[in-house]
Amino acid sequence: MSTPKGPHGGLSDFNIHHGFIEALIRGMRCSFLKDADYHHITQCENLEDVKLNLSETDYADAVADMTVLTPSDLQAAAIKKLVTEFKYVRTQAVEPLATFLDFITYEYMIENIMLLLKGALSGRDINELLAQCHPLGMFKDSTMRSIPTFEPNAKGFADLYQTVLVDTPVGPYFAMFLQESSNAMGGEVRNVIEEVEIEIIKSSLIKYWIEDFTQYVEKLGGETAEIMGDLLKVRADTNAINITLNSFGTPLNEPAMRASDRKRLYPAVGHLYPSGTSMLTDVATEEELGRVLSLFPQYASIWGVHAAGSDKSIDDAFYERDVMSLELAFESQMHFGVFYAYVKLKEQEIRNLVWITECILQAQKDEINKFVPVFSFHAPWRASASKAR
Amino acid sequence: MSDVCTSPFCNAGWGELLSHMSPYGFANFGIAFGLGFSVVGAAWGIWLTGSSLVGAAVKAPRIRSKNLISVIFCEATAIYGVIMAIILANKIKKPDEESYQLPENWDFPGFYYAGYGMFSAGLSVGLTNIASGVSVGIAGSSCALADAQDASLFVKILIVEIFASALGIFGIIVGIIESNACNFPIAALDNGN
Repeated sequence: MSTPKGPHGGLSDFNIHHGFIEALIRGMRCSFLKDADYHHITQCENLEDVKLNLSETDYADAVADMTVLTPSDLQAAAIKKLVTEFKYVRTQAVEPLATFLDFITYEYMIENIMLLLKGALSGRDINELLAQCHPLGMFKDSTMRSIPTFEPNAKGFADLYQTVLVDTPVGPYFAMFLQESSNAMGGEVRNVIEEVEIEIIKSSLIKYWIEDFTQYVEKLGGETAEIMGDLLKVRADTNAINITLNSFGTPLNEPAMRASDRKRLYPAVGHLYPSGTSMLTDVATEEELGRVLSLFPQYASIWGVHAAGSDKSIDDAFYERDVMSLELAFESQMHFGVFYAYVKLKEQEIRNLVWITECILQAQKDEINKFVPVFSFHAPWRASASKAR
Repeated sequence: MSDVCTSPFCNAGWGELLSHMSPYGFANFGIAFGLGFSVVGAAWGIWLTGSSLVGAAVKAPRIRSKNLISVIFCEATAIYGVIMAIILANKIKKPDEESYQLPENWDFPGFYYAGYGMFSAGLSVGLTNIASGVSVGIAGSSCALADAQDASLFVKILIVEIFASALGIFGIIVGIIESNACNFPIAALDNGN
């Protein structure tokens, strides 16, 4: 970790190190599917037509060698394409951008570790699990294979950390989790983790990741701190709201657990922190959550979607808001936010493709338009502007 | 600070230092700064533009020839410096009579005026050209990125670039006017005057 992490430059010297790579990722912006592409794909009667339509887009190479297109194959091919692009960008990057890009991958590493641990609990085959792991968060094959061999209890996790994860970039987050959960239990390391579900471990690790990433971004300063900082704040808030929402009906919502365990999962960054998260601590029902969120204008409307009970879920509302804020990162030049935004927007596009192909496969044509297009001229936040033009 | 120099041969301060430097020296420094800073500005602009240009051209190869205009705009900044350097260099003339001592009735005010004038002319061209080069470079870098996404934006941003490039022209106009009146005396004044 001795790499020099100087300031990443401003308007006049950013391009010394990052000019090429930034222009590259901005050039890739034109690879997103256009409104017309979505229009054509959603009109398709079968997946063969979808493949035909996709072969006129940037996904041409990805779908070229598929004889039969299935949603899962398409997803795998699209992710593979994204990972190839990301790896290319990563090899071109120099510090401090290189570390920034690594931070993006840590999230997938955490998800992969949790996927493996969860899979091991339910006794699934390791090869099957490895196939499901996100390729951006892969460790060495031997490391990956050894993760599910540990016992899912306190000692097992401690061993897992000491023998395997200590060498990985996400090791420090795991260490912080072990430390904190033993502190919370008054130094009793042994019995702690057995009681904590995998999801909670994952939420804590993601929380540490968001906080660490925010700190790094703030150290970089300038435009990056402003734009990427906001993206991470929004991300942190989304996590806090989702953790609260998902805890209803689980032991985590017990009054005793709320303050001790659920509170610990809220990231210490974001627009909701600190006043919002401390209010979220006392929330026990959906109505109470809605009351807290109504105090925050940016989340009141998202909650409104959920509360109205329409066919849009709160996830859809979050996705829509995410796409809007991620697109904004492309409106400014000479900062690192675009790299994160690109990966996340591509993920949204892959979600869209999977959704559309699933709808076609299951002949659910009514549902097919429930996706969030990226850089669409028909997006709600752009529709009013384009009408005025 | 006990060892302050009290001898009459010591330098009395900046004023004395500046007034005792040879006007020929000042004039030549003017040329050096004018040309040097202009080239710094041009180089700065070119790498700002160039790095973005090659990156954006990976996905949109059609932009690469069109956007060379941005690079040429930056290059123009260096050319302004060269033009100014040539104008200034032609104004430096050595005395007709070669001697180690200038004559008593030498036109000293005109001599110093020429030296300082050319120094400032060079400096004003150089510094404006740094500013111009950087701003053309930043606009050119954005131009390449914008053109890669939407070809109709190229001409619009090019106009911004032209205005940025005009900053350098202001510098060279003022520099030429400044140096116009600077004439190095080549012979002693007539005794009658």
